[in-house]
Amino acid sequence: MAGDLVEALSDLEEERAVALLAERIKAGEDVLALLEEARRGMEIVGERFEKGEYYLSELIYAGEILKRMSESLKEHLPKTSSQRSENVVVMATVRGDVHDIGKNIVIALLEASGFPVIDLGTNVPPEDIIEKLRETGSGMVGLSALLTTAIDSMKETVKAIREAGLGEVKIMIGGAPIDDEARSYTGADAWGRTAQDGVSIVKRWTGYVPASQS
Amino acid sequence: MSEEYSAKYQAKLRRLDDAAHLRKIDRVPIAAATLYFPAKYSGITYHEMFYDQQKYEAAAERFAKDFDWDGACFLRSFESVTLGLSLAAADAKTAVNVAVASVLGGGFAHDILKDGYSSHPGRELPEDEESQFAFQGSFMDMEEYDAFAEDPFGFLSSVVVPRVYGSLSAPGSGESNAALVRLGFELADALPKAVAFAKRMVQADCPPWYMALAPNPLDYLGAFVRNFDRLLPDLYRVPEKVRKVCEQLAPVLAEVGKATGTISYELTGSRRVFCPVWYNTYLSPDMFKEFHWRYLKYMAEELIKAGFTPLFSFQGEHDKHLETILELPEGKVIAWFDKTDPRKAKEVIGEHSCIAGGISPSLLIGGTPERVEKEVKELLDAMKGSRGFIFTLPFNAIGPAKIENVRAMTDAVMKYGAY
Repeated sequence: MAGDLVEALSDLEEERAVALLAERIKAGEDVLALLEEARRGMEIVGERFEKGEYYLSELIYAGEILKRMSESLKEHLPKTSSQRSENVVVMATVRGDVHDIGKNIVIALLEASGFPVIDLGTNVPPEDIIEKLRETGSGMVGLSALLTTAIDSMKETVKAIREAGLGEVKIMIGGAPIDDEARSYTGADAWGRTAQDGVSIVKRWTGYVPASQS
Repeated sequence: MSEEYSAKYQAKLRRLDDAAHLRKIDRVPIAAATLYFPAKYSGITYHEMFYDQQKYEAAAERFAKDFDWDGACFLRSFESVTLGLSLAAADAKTAVNVAVASVLGGGFAHDILKDGYSSHPGRELPEDEESQFAFQGSFMDMEEYDAFAEDPFGFLSSVVVPRVYGSLSAPGSGESNAALVRLGFELADALPKAVAFAKRMVQADCPPWYMALAPNPLDYLGAFVRNFDRLLPDLYRVPEKVRKVCEQLAPVLAEVGKATGTISYELTGSRRVFCPVWYNTYLSPDMFKEFHWRYLKYMAEELIKAGFTPLFSFQGEHDKHLETILELPEGKVIAWFDKTDPRKAKEVIGEHSCIAGGISPSLLIGGTPERVEKEVKELLDAMKGSRGFIFTLPFNAIGPAKIENVRAMTDAVMKYGAY
């Protein structure tokens, strides 16, 4: 039974996943364990994407299914604020750009890999990012952009974060106009071509060793 | 070819045409979507670019003369497209005029219609920020596909238009009627200006990279009606319903391409029709074929039959869909790439169709003229050997570029692009 939820989500069987979840919540199963299964399902989606078996549309659709599942789990979850702040990734689309599809995919995959994320949304000024870093003690930022013009905004954001006296903050960037040239120009630490690259970067930064890999 | 055109203008038109049709040329043509760069180059604000036609025309002309490209593009925004399309069954000519209002005319349609699509410099944005085209939520629900497919123009007119445009949210109200009349007044002024602008660019020996446009069904649905983050799950949840709407829209959008293509040909001698492709990056090869390519191919065939050259702008990454181009007749379309390396595209496309591509936008922003020259030379060395290559840039790559880098890029194409 335990594998079913993982399988339903990772195979993108939306109605089956949602029905199964409702059934198992009703049967009184541990919601944290169910949440863990959903997370594992999304992680498999990410792995399939990395192997080229799934495409971006499947990642986005899986994110939608996961959103529906999380909503029905939410009301049963115990309230907790025990996020490991040093592992929180602060994500934002930079000032001057309102596009968020790319950022949202990265967030879904980061969460599926067990990294808590704070999503500041789009068109975010550097001050808001700095404030959030200070508040959480996080040392990891992901900046997204679709517009070419946002490369300059990213550069300003990176500079502002570096000058804010926050200690060591790692910054990754991604989005349509981003390549290594843009990374070097903006002064970011890393860049990702795909959403899965974003996860790999964060894993590298945190020294993450996947438990399931042999 | 018209005798109104100078020998230089005709040579540029021919160079672009010959490249598109895989004929021998003297030099690799250079043409790009210039968008915000002429404003930056001439020192006018982005706000002026949208709202001061005289200043924008002067900026465009100055850019055209100083850089002397084979083609440039001076179109602006797309917010009146949905209103235009909603009129297609009632009055085709008015539909086209309304659809191109914001494309050719600048910011007035945005001010009058209060669309939910775009934010403009000097309105919602600071004067020097680029206009953004994106909306929150959706202008139709998943349950409404059937109604859309059954009566596309009725649905657009009575359901979508009131949701998209703040001024038209209460059809039949005084506010709505006044907005439509005002739009008509402004159009009467803007259309002759757009014609004069096009002619001025002809005088400046600058053919359009593109002036005509044909949106495709899936991208129109995602970018203008349903919103893309909603449309993608719909492709899994209600695929048949999405397809039915696309089937209805395809012939109409092909007609939009032909109508704007005719305007472009009459004003400038260019038969290219811009066919932007936005959601290719997101789709698997199977889904691309099923929901995107099916209609792109149909529209391309229709445009080719009518004597036009579809200019596909495959935005984002197109690597996994390259072979679909081979399904089209040889030497009839231009495949313009964004994140896909033209060299990689050539491995698949070969000399079947003309390839247009260029260098990384970030190199133009952060690089040096020396590095720009080197990269352009490397690209030309790799691409020039075969017929059918146009040097261009990824869509909207040039706005924030350094002027000296655009100069270096231009010089390098002239220097290393000669055959």
